Amino acid sequence: MNEVNKNNLMLEVKNLKKSFGNREILKGISFSIKAGETVGIIGPSGCGKSTILKLLCNLIEPDGGEIIKYSNDISLVFQGSALLNSLTVKENLALALRNKHLSQREESEIIAEKLKLVGLSNFANSYPAQLSGGQQKRTSFARAIVIDPKIIFYDEPTTGLDPILSTIIEDYIITLSDQLRAAAIVVTHQLSTWTRTTDRLILLHAGEIKWQGKPQEALETNDPYMRQFALSSRDGPILVG
Amino acid sequence: MTSIKTKSLNIIGYPIHSLENNLMGMFKHIGQVLIIYYYTLKFIFQGKIDYKETFKQSYMIGVKSFFVVSITALFTGFAMSLQISRELVLFGADTAIGGVVSLALIREIGPITAGVMVAGRVGSSIAAELTTMMITEQIDALKVMKINPVEYLVVPRYMAGILMMPILSIYAMAVGLIAGIIVAQVAANVQPATFLDSVQQTILDRDFEVHFLKSFINATIIIIFSCNIGLHTRGGAEDVGIATTRAVVWSMTGIFIANYIVTALTFIPR
Repeated sequence: MNEVNKNNLMLEVKNLKKSFGNREILKGISFSIKAGETVGIIGPSGCGKSTILKLLCNLIEPDGGEIIKYSNDISLVFQGSALLNSLTVKENLALALRNKHLSQREESEIIAEKLKLVGLSNFANSYPAQLSGGQQKRTSFARAIVIDPKIIFYDEPTTGLDPILSTIIEDYIITLSDQLRAAAIVVTHQLSTWTRTTDRLILLHAGEIKWQGKPQEALETNDPYMRQFALSSRDGPILVG
Repeated sequence: MTSIKTKSLNIIGYPIHSLENNLMGMFKHIGQVLIIYYYTLKFIFQGKIDYKETFKQSYMIGVKSFFVVSITALFTGFAMSLQISRELVLFGADTAIGGVVSLALIREIGPITAGVMVAGRVGSSIAAELTTMMITEQIDALKVMKINPVEYLVVPRYMAGILMMPILSIYAMAVGLIAGIIVAQVAANVQPATFLDSVQQTILDRDFEVHFLKSFINATIIIIFSCNIGLHTRGGAEDVGIATTRAVVWSMTGIFIANYIVTALTFIPR
């Protein structure tokens, strides 16, 4: 972990490579993220979006390249919430604070504050199985932000949610970005999510970055990859199947 | 001609390839077990023990196993005592029934009965729970929160296992002994006092030491093997079932092999 923070950077990825068996998922991709910036990673299924997040969180080892993180405070909001079923909502949040060695009082105050932020103050003692899908997602958010991370990753945060809940989750991402000034990566398929929450977009296809730019530009560009993706078209260079 | 040759090669090649895969899988599993055990001991010696979770696991592993261990030990004691009584009565050695029954119970039946029951009940449950946690990314969530899964999940279970298994084993032995007393009196007319006197004359302190050693080894095999299978299984719902079966098979096989090795090393014929 490098503590030098040049140009306000929080994360640098250089020539990152990853293969599973004979299948090359990432063919040497590079990008960087500044503090307070939210980058969206989009692309067709199986293009390596979630693999990037796993590599950035040290859940899997890269085959090549370099990942430089300028902070140790990293969180990931999992696609499937990934709450510990044997623990209550409050205990799930407390687990994230375990390494902070806080007093019981400090811990309770932080947890109460974060639960209030996601509107789950009344569910502190509920178990994940007693919550709806949306409430589980919000708990997962609260757990991710309880440590006030400097780098936060969202894996498909709105996939499978109804449009209203998707909007609520998108609002959380925007609010957190403003409040925490954290560098964030949002991996998503949802057009509304990347247009509303991101400052910059990266389009991945076949293990390579095919297009980068602002979300507004993504809707107007003539780049065949981005155009096909933005228009959800079958016709174009991206072959799915 | 070519196809016949290829077919013949396949017939020979497939079993060899399959055997190679199985052996590689077995060595890989044993290697993973040793690594997990090393880290478990490291965390324990560093004092990184979650006592609250250990207490909870002790209840799950120990207290909840008492009923099933009682039933198994009781009927094993009945059957064994009946067989031994019948044979010894023929030789006029009624007074030795208590000694022989208690020796079998303390040296073999007690640790094996408790071990097999805990492997079936607890080993399968641990493997299913941890595999589900793997599949639903709960283990990944722990890693992202910088919580070592071995410290958080394996250490409390192992501590609970090595605390509760000797208690269960000695309890299984006691239940078996009660069953032995009942059967000896009913089937061979041996009075409880005579039975217990024979027990006292036969059992040595060393038998208890070996009994506890076997319990400790059984707990280690069940918990570490099951946790390892749980922490290395990926896939879907079907894999939870496969992991459960593997945990029980590996644990039970390990228990029987370790039991023989300990017996061979501690009770070498003079």
